[in-house]
Formats: sequence, structure tokens, C-alpha cells
Amino acid sequence: TMSAHQKYRYENDCKPDENRNKGASRWSQCRKRGADGSLRTSHAVEEPGKCSQSSRRPESFTTPESEGPVSRVKNWGDEVEAEEVRSNVQRDAHRYRRRILEADFPQRDRKISSGSSDSRDSRDSKESPAKGDIESDEATLIRRQKQINYGKNTLAYDRYIKEIPKHLRQPGVHPKTPNKFKKYSRRSWDQQIKLWRVKLHAWDPPAEEGNDVQQIEEIDLGEIMDFELDVECSGDTESPCPISSGASLALAEVIFTICYPIPSKISSNSISQYFHFFLFLMIDFCGGNFPCYVLGYTHFVYTAFDNF
Amino acid sequence: MENSSKEEYKIQSFDLETQKLLKTALKDPGSVDLEKVSNVIVDQSLEDQIFSREAGRICYTIVQAEAKQTNGNVFRRNLLNRLQQAFKAREETRKRSTQEWVCLVSFICNIFDYLKVNNMPMMALVQPVYDCLFRLAQSDALQNEEEVDCLVLQLHRIGDQLEKMNMQLMDELFSLLRDGFLLQEDLSSMGRLLLLEILEFRAGGWSLSETAQKYYYSEVTD
Repeated sequence: TMSAHQKYRYENDCKPDENRNKGASRWSQCRKRGADGSLRTSHAVEEPGKCSQSSRRPESFTTPESEGPVSRVKNWGDEVEAEEVRSNVQRDAHRYRRRILEADFPQRDRKISSGSSDSRDSRDSKESPAKGDIESDEATLIRRQKQINYGKNTLAYDRYIKEIPKHLRQPGVHPKTPNKFKKYSRRSWDQQIKLWRVKLHAWDPPAEEGNDVQQIEEIDLGEIMDFELDVECSGDTESPCPISSGASLALAEVIFTICYPIPSKISSNSISQYFHFFLFLMIDFCGGNFPCYVLGYTHFVYTAFDNF
Repeated sequence: MENSSKEEYKIQSFDLETQKLLKTALKDPGSVDLEKVSNVIVDQSLEDQIFSREAGRICYTIVQAEAKQTNGNVFRRNLLNRLQQAFKAREETRKRSTQEWVCLVSFICNIFDYLKVNNMPMMALVQPVYDCLFRLAQSDALQNEEEVDCLVLQLHRIGDQLEKMNMQLMDELFSLLRDGFLLQEDLSSMGRLLLLEILEFRAGGWSLSETAQKYYYSEVTD
């Protein structure tokens, strides 16, 4: 149906913050493997912002005491904003280190047992990192802070903090700002941010319900896409020929049962409905490169399910 | 209340409607067009000698108010970008009008003084401020009492901060001032006096000894 196609079409657009974007074709943006079959590392691509920072050339009048060369091209408004983010991050880092030290060596009568956790976000003594485990790379901290700022700079966040004061926030129930000082892999951190922002959407102003739905579905598609990649990978992607019946049968079964778990009693009609929906999904993601494979799959899957 | 805020922010020179706009910006920044407010302030600062030396304070207050109320920085961003434009055009401004040029320098330095980021001076302004002061230390500018006066005023106000941000440049600047004092023949006696005083001022750790204070300022009544 066309509605499925339209609903998920935006997924084809290259998202600048999507780490897996690589390669020219829309199809390749979804790929986990390159054309030669080797796995692509998801996080090898630097953010454009980071690239410009690391390739900055010194200005002719860079001063020895200044904390880094400043690009000639920037305007003062941007420069000062960047300074502000940086100095905020440094200030936060000092505070955080002090808090961690205090947790290890309580200065007052405060009891901090190994099992309890302080109510403050940045100090869960349960998970209190050793000093060496604090994320201290400035560029990383700044990047993370910017991501947090994007989330906090929303109507949803404003409404959330007004509605639920800190002492009433329950872990697991209420969104919690990820702690930028803890060591996480890039992927883990980006996922935490994504989930945090999705949770915050519950506080979107009422007029934006449509966006809510889209956002949540975006996540779901991610799961589907991941899986779909495995399907594509196993086949010979360059040739237009359908793959061998045995392999495609197995693949199709696997796709189907995982994406659309089939209850024991189900008519073949409903199965084909699901499958059409799924086919449209795949055609969309693959940017039109898929039809010939789809035909091949269709045949084999229908055959398979006739036997159920 | 009315008059004291006029006094504090030195906005007497604005027309009444603009004064009202500025006062609203201070109390309720989200309700006004902050880009317009910043333009109004910049325009006035580039012309009005008194305001150019004092505009920093009102700017700082508006920046804080906006950050607190809306978490935005429209005002600061526009202010800085206007300032940058004016800075880029400084040489033409100097040729056109000495008064506008010294207003520009006073304004940039005043912003540097007041608009701090987490209590630190804005690093982005350090080099531009030095550029202005170096220009004022050139021989064609030293001839001109108005420019010397502007130079020493800025060094009195922000010299210590500038030195902390970049000692080397301050040393170079003062080399020029020493040379000017000693070697430049077409300096007025007032010009020389001003230079001598600033040389002593820095040598004293950015303050004047009591005897030097008496020497330079004994004629001035409180």
C-alpha cells in the first residue's frame, strides 16, 4: 500500500547525525557491509563539526596563551558560544571530580554505603567510577554536551522539568539525562541520547502528537533495518539474479518470523498481507534496487508458507 | 527607580522611546526584539563617547536576563557580530572620523570588560582588542591626543586582564609606547604625560604608587 511507502520514505534521506551514513547511493547508507562483503565499522565517520575542529589551521595571530587556534572564518558570535560550551564543560568536570572524590572520601557525616545511590544524577555511588574511569577527552565531552543541549533546548524538556521536580523523578520511569562523564562507547552513548530524547517526547506540547508517532517509529525501523541488512548481505548483491531457492527460503523464513512473529493459527491471507507490507518497506530502504530480489523472495516465501 | 537605572546604565542620551525599549529588555527580554535592541546599542556606542565607555554594563545585564529567561543568546550573538563588522571596518572609520574610531575602541574594550563567559574574559576578543591598541600605539595615532587618551584609558581599565590573557603582546605593546615616548618628536606634552603615566602604571603592577598618584593627579579635585 502506498501509505506504508509514504510513511517511511523519510528514512531514505541522509541524516547528518546518522553514524552509518557512508557511500553515495541511498542503498549503501543502509549497508552494514561494503560491496566486497567486508563489514563496515559504523563509527569510523567523524561528525562534520569535529572534522573542522581537528583540521583547523592556525590564524596568523594565534596567541601562545590562547587555548587553541581559532578559525579565521568563524564569527564572534559562534566563537563565544563555543567558548561558553567549552568552559561550561570544564567547570562541570571540576565539579564532577570533586563529587566523585567526596563520594570516595566522605568529608562529612554523610553515609555512603556501597549499595545506596545519591539522589543526584551525576553521582550514583553504586556505579561510581574510579577516577581513571571518568571520560576526560574534551572533544568528546563537548560533543556530548552539545547533544544534551539539543535535547534540553526543547519545549518538551521545559515542560518536563516544570512538571516533575527533581525529587519526584523515578529512575526508569522518567527520562534521565545521560551522564557525559561516564565512559561509554560512542554507539552506547548515542543510543542513550536517542532513548532519552524519545522519552522526553512524552512531554511534547499537545499539538505535536504526529511527531511523537514518527519518532517512535523511527526507532522501530532501526531494528528492522538492522535485521534487513543481514538478509541483503548474504546474497550476491550485485547480480540481478535471484539467489538459490534453499538460501532464500531460509532467509525469508527468518525475516518473517523475527519481524512478524506468526501465531500458530493464521491464514495464508494474513501472512501475505504482512508480507506485502514488509516488501514495501524493503523496497523503500533499498532505494529501488530491490524489486528483482523481491520477486525472487516472493515466490519462495509463498511456497514456504503454503506448507505451514 | 527610573532615574537610578538611567544613571547606572547611562542611557540618558537615548530618546525616551528607546529608553523604554532598553528598560523592557532588561526586565523582560523575551518580550522584545533583541536583535533590534542590540543594534540600537551598537549604533549609539559607535557615536556617543560617554555611552561607548559604559555600554558594557547594560549589555551584560541583558545577556544574563535573556539567558535566564529563555536560555537564548540572541542578544549577545547579534551584538558580537555587529561588533565584528565594525572592527573589520576600523581603518576606514579611523580615516573618516577620529571620534567614531575612539568610540569603537572604547566600546570593544568595554564589552571585553563586562561580557564575561563563566567569569572569564571572552577569548575571541583578546586579539581584536590588542589590534586596536596596537593601532593606537602607531606613530600617526600617538601624535593625536584624543587617541593617546583613549589608549591609556583602555589600559587603565583592562590592561591587567589583557596581560593575563597574553603577556607577550602586552610586552610588545609597551615596547612601542616606550619608543614613542622617547623617540617621537611630534608628541604633545600632554601626550607624553599620558604615556609616562601608563608606563609607570604598568610597571607598578597596574596601579600607581602614592607618590606617582600625587605627581600626576594632584591638580585634580575630587
